[in-house]
Amino acid sequence: MAQHEVEITISRTGDVRVHVKGAKGKACMEYAKWLTEVIGRAKDQQLTSEYYEPETKSRIDLHQDLKVEDGSS
Amino acid sequence: MSTVLVLAPVIISNWPAITVAVAGAASALGFTIKQAAEEALKQGQPGEAEQSVEVELADSQVLAQGLATDQKVVLTKGPVQIVVQRDARGRCKVCASGKGQSKAQLKQAAEEFTQKLTQCFIYDKVMKQLKSKSFQVVNEQIMQDESIRIHVRRWVD
Repeated sequence: MAQHEVEITISRTGDVRVHVKGAKGKACMEYAKWLTEVIGRAKDQQLTSEYYEPETKSRIDLHQDLKVEDGSS
Repeated sequence: MSTVLVLAPVIISNWPAITVAVAGAASALGFTIKQAAEEALKQGQPGEAEQSVEVELADSQVLAQGLATDQKVVLTKGPVQIVVQRDARGRCKVCASGKGQSKAQLKQAAEEFTQKLTQCFIYDKVMKQLKSKSFQVVNEQIMQDESIRIHVRRWVD
């Protein structure tokens, strides 16, 4: 399950700022298109730095414990 | 991933939906809705000593479905009367008038009402659409600058 969030700010003059978060690639653009149709016409659109991040990140931490055996025994 | 959009509002709707927004704007700005619109208009026809200013919502279209030609909403607040109606081109028009009020004061009142009407209309429409897409409201605030901030969320497979 993915969490999609939208922050909508309607200014006192009626202009609207929409911030779509959590939706990846095509889904993000679909939200943007849908909200543009609902509200009016686009004046500006920016993809935030988050947009350009890879969709998934993985990190593997490897730990190796070295055990030195005493050969004298 | 995320994107930020800035959108200019466009009001295309039928008259009932616009009157809901008019009522919201009237309530927010302290106007009273006059029940008998025709009577109020007859009494309140701008006379020689009364100024009148009209402001048109540029990006608006009132759909004519079920709309009688003389349908309008009349609002009052002190000496100021505001009439919201559909003009001949189908646009939403706000007319402010009042005895003892300068053109500048009436223009300000009409513009303030127009902006609040737009904000209320967009709020109603956005909330309806968000609910239809199963979004849940996480937070909703009116900010110091009178903007409305809505934070919604939904879970998808």
